[in-house]
Amino acid sequence: MSRAWKLLLVLLLAPALVLAAEDARLDRAPIDEHDLVSLQRGAKIYVNYCLGCHSAGYMRYNRLEDFALTPQQIRDNLIFTGAKVGDLMKNSMDPKDAKEWFGGVPPDLTVIARSRASPAGSGADWLYTYLRSFYRDPSRPTGWNNVVYRDVGMPHVLWKLQGEQELRTEVVVIARSDDEEDVEKREVQKLVLARPGTMSALEYDLLVRDLVNFLVYMAEPAKRTRIEVGIFVLLLLGVFFALAYALKKEYWKDVQ
Amino acid sequence: MSPFAVAGNIRMADKELDAGKRRFLIAATSVAGGVATGATAVPFVASMLPSERAKAAGAPVEADISGLAPGGLMRVEWRGKPVWIVRRTKEMLELVKASDERVADPNSKRQPDYTPPYARNEFRSIKPEYLVVVGICTHLGCSPVDKLKAEPEPFDANWKGGFYCPCHGSLFDLAGRVYKNKPAPDNLPVPPHTYLSENKILIGEDQEGA
Amino acid sequence: MAAGEKEPVTGAGPFNGLLTWVDRRFPLIQLWREHLSEYYAPKNFNFWYYFGSLAILVLVIQIVTGIFLTMHYKPDAAQAFASVEYIMREVPGGWLIRYMHSTGASAFFIVVYLHMFRGLLYGSYRQPRELIWIIGMMIYLCLMAEAFFGYLLPWGQMSYWGAQVIINLFDAIPWIGPTLAIWIRGDYVVADATLNRFFALHVIGIPLLLLGLVVAHIMALHEVGSNNPDGVEIKQHKDPRTGRPLDGVAFHPYYTVKDLMGAAFFLILFCIVMFFMPEFGGYFLEYNNFIPADPLKTPPHIAPVWYFTPYYSILRAVTEDFMIVLALGVAAYAALIWLTVERFRTKVTAAAVAAVLIFFMKGPEQFVIDPKVWGVAMMGAGTLIYFLLPWLDRSPVKSIRYKGPITKAALALFVVSFLALGYLGTLSVTESRTLAAQIFTLAYFAFFLLMPWYTAIDRTRPEPSRVTWEGAH
Repeated sequence: MSRAWKLLLVLLLAPALVLAAEDARLDRAPIDEHDLVSLQRGAKIYVNYCLGCHSAGYMRYNRLEDFALTPQQIRDNLIFTGAKVGDLMKNSMDPKDAKEWFGGVPPDLTVIARSRASPAGSGADWLYTYLRSFYRDPSRPTGWNNVVYRDVGMPHVLWKLQGEQELRTEVVVIARSDDEEDVEKREVQKLVLARPGTMSALEYDLLVRDLVNFLVYMAEPAKRTRIEVGIFVLLLLGVFFALAYALKKEYWKDVQ
Repeated sequence: MSPFAVAGNIRMADKELDAGKRRFLIAATSVAGGVATGATAVPFVASMLPSERAKAAGAPVEADISGLAPGGLMRVEWRGKPVWIVRRTKEMLELVKASDERVADPNSKRQPDYTPPYARNEFRSIKPEYLVVVGICTHLGCSPVDKLKAEPEPFDANWKGGFYCPCHGSLFDLAGRVYKNKPAPDNLPVPPHTYLSENKILIGEDQEGA
Repeated sequence: MAAGEKEPVTGAGPFNGLLTWVDRRFPLIQLWREHLSEYYAPKNFNFWYYFGSLAILVLVIQIVTGIFLTMHYKPDAAQAFASVEYIMREVPGGWLIRYMHSTGASAFFIVVYLHMFRGLLYGSYRQPRELIWIIGMMIYLCLMAEAFFGYLLPWGQMSYWGAQVIINLFDAIPWIGPTLAIWIRGDYVVADATLNRFFALHVIGIPLLLLGLVVAHIMALHEVGSNNPDGVEIKQHKDPRTGRPLDGVAFHPYYTVKDLMGAAFFLILFCIVMFFMPEFGGYFLEYNNFIPADPLKTPPHIAPVWYFTPYYSILRAVTEDFMIVLALGVAAYAALIWLTVERFRTKVTAAAVAAVLIFFMKGPEQFVIDPKVWGVAMMGAGTLIYFLLPWLDRSPVKSIRYKGPITKAALALFVVSFLALGYLGTLSVTESRTLAAQIFTLAYFAFFLLMPWYTAIDRTRPEPSRVTWEGAH
């Protein structure tokens, strides 16, 4: 039996080895899901920069009260349309117009953070890297391309804040041995900030972090409750199991 | 004492201990199981309560009364129900006073929930000029017809103005109070409401400090 | 009491009167005794014997959570995806009910696969339990159908394209395929019509069938009595006074109490997953399914849900090149039968069937059936071959404990193949992976098809007459 268990273990661990080989390295998103202020900022960024094209049609404005906001604060700062605070966060982008302008309808982003998870990283990692990986590309209709999502139809909405990046090819020289002549020349593509924006690199990263934090929250608002209830339930089940175990042992004393 | 007897005694004592322990464990496990089952039932029962969508649809509604003429009636939908706003003239207010003896519950004492504190007055309203009531008969739920004019009617030669329910003949006066001896037991409910301004009533929310 | 009336119920405290009234009109006490307090099960049940009762527990979980989900779900292509998000966000406690159902679906298959494996280990399919096994296999097929229909309901990208691909398999069947596929779909592609009928089948059609089969499964079991890890028939040694099997214990209270404990532990594992990792790395809730279905855009990696992947692997393994291997395999198998089986009728049937198969595999161009169709056939065969187990196993002993080294090695190889095929099914296709899948497919089928031979010649140990049991643990 023990050999079979070992084999099982190896087989179960094997995925880890294969999955490591997937392409597209993603940066780890430094989000703190308990940081309510970050979430508030993220909501603000979303309604200001994203909501115009990307609806969040499964999310209600009044759910934002989870971030210690009052309905009045939400009405005053986060709703720019005639929507009521109990309404869904929809926009008025006409799908036909969108197809003409962008080649496709900007997707609803309510659960984007869940759909973008992959073996390469969590959905948050993907979004965090994506929003910082736009670069100037004159060959594209919008003038922008993205390292994480090749030939994306979305322009770099936040370009004024980040500035303009360019994709430059660098030749990296790697020594293969002590011999100076024995080198390997590799072409590596790097994103370089060609023209700075109104924010420094750090400020922009923090902004993206807040936005991604908000997107992660929006994908599953019940997450915090889920974990809290889970701890309580497991404690309860632990007690129940202990009693059921004792009961079983007691009865099975009868059996010889 | 023979060894067998000793052994026998120990077994007897064991059995008693076992039975007690067994009973305790059954009881304790049953209680824990009951608590667990109860806890599990909570989300299922809760899931049948109004969802956010239902609550959003039931949110307070604003009514603009600037266009309402004296003696006129305006209908607004709140929580799927019709809410009437009647702009009562001075004559209509007099008729309300005159109906005091004909109504079953002139002071709205029967169902306190149907009349919020700020409407527990002579005219069942915040401002005497405007009546705000839910237009659903308190008998079996039909919506009465407005008969605001005080003129003889087939159902009452001495009609003082108000509402007539066609389903089973209940009558309500111009303050929504139910007439004596009619199928409907209660006055028309006054919904929670407050004046946002001279021309706007918010139906569904109580006054500040109410 | 009138003559011929039943004895009044005792031992139920304040309920004695009520239960007596019921018992005089319904076989309550008889059922209680036959199936619980006087149903004697072997006392040496081990870890592998928890999974039957756990399967019932998960079935109940799925039905109850399913009912409450149906209160809010909308089976309409335009509203389905949104209604699931509505449940997750806006229905009080909806997120919990949804996660219970999604975790329960995967848990059901884990439990059922382990339950089936117990059967393989201890020969629970052997005479006189063949019918229990057959009914069980029918439950397994229903379960796969139930999962397949249910998976379309969230109407995500995986839901849509998974359904599209699987129904297209039916399209591959010669002659009747295309019509059959349209009939299943109710449309030319997976559409609203498909969603509605899958909803009906998932919510009531298959569950009714499942409940009936589960009842039949337990009735068949109780008719014969449970097997045990030693494969010994406990009914052969009964107490002369009471008529009870010497190695048996009453199901109630001994196994009700043990199964309660098992259920508690299972629920702990279940809740750990449900509360802390409901997506389970994308295996229980797939990432792609958080994108609404788009009939115009196929996601780059479509894979079926994890519990179907072994069979999916078999399907993909059958390539043009593999057909030669299959044809040779069929020929070799027919040769084996011809050389070792005595009965002439069997020999001839085997040869004829082999000839027909090879003709359609590697025969003249106009008659050859596509590898795609053979892939579907092999996949189907992979799920159905379990039905034959009671007649494939020719060992003189039931339990793996007393079987020989060849059988043990074969079973180990089968487990490895099943897991490997499952894992390969989650990955995209490459040449080396296809080769691996082909090798494991052969091993998988060899386990079954060669069983009559290796179980007959294997060196077995004698089965004990009484169960082996070191004491309660």
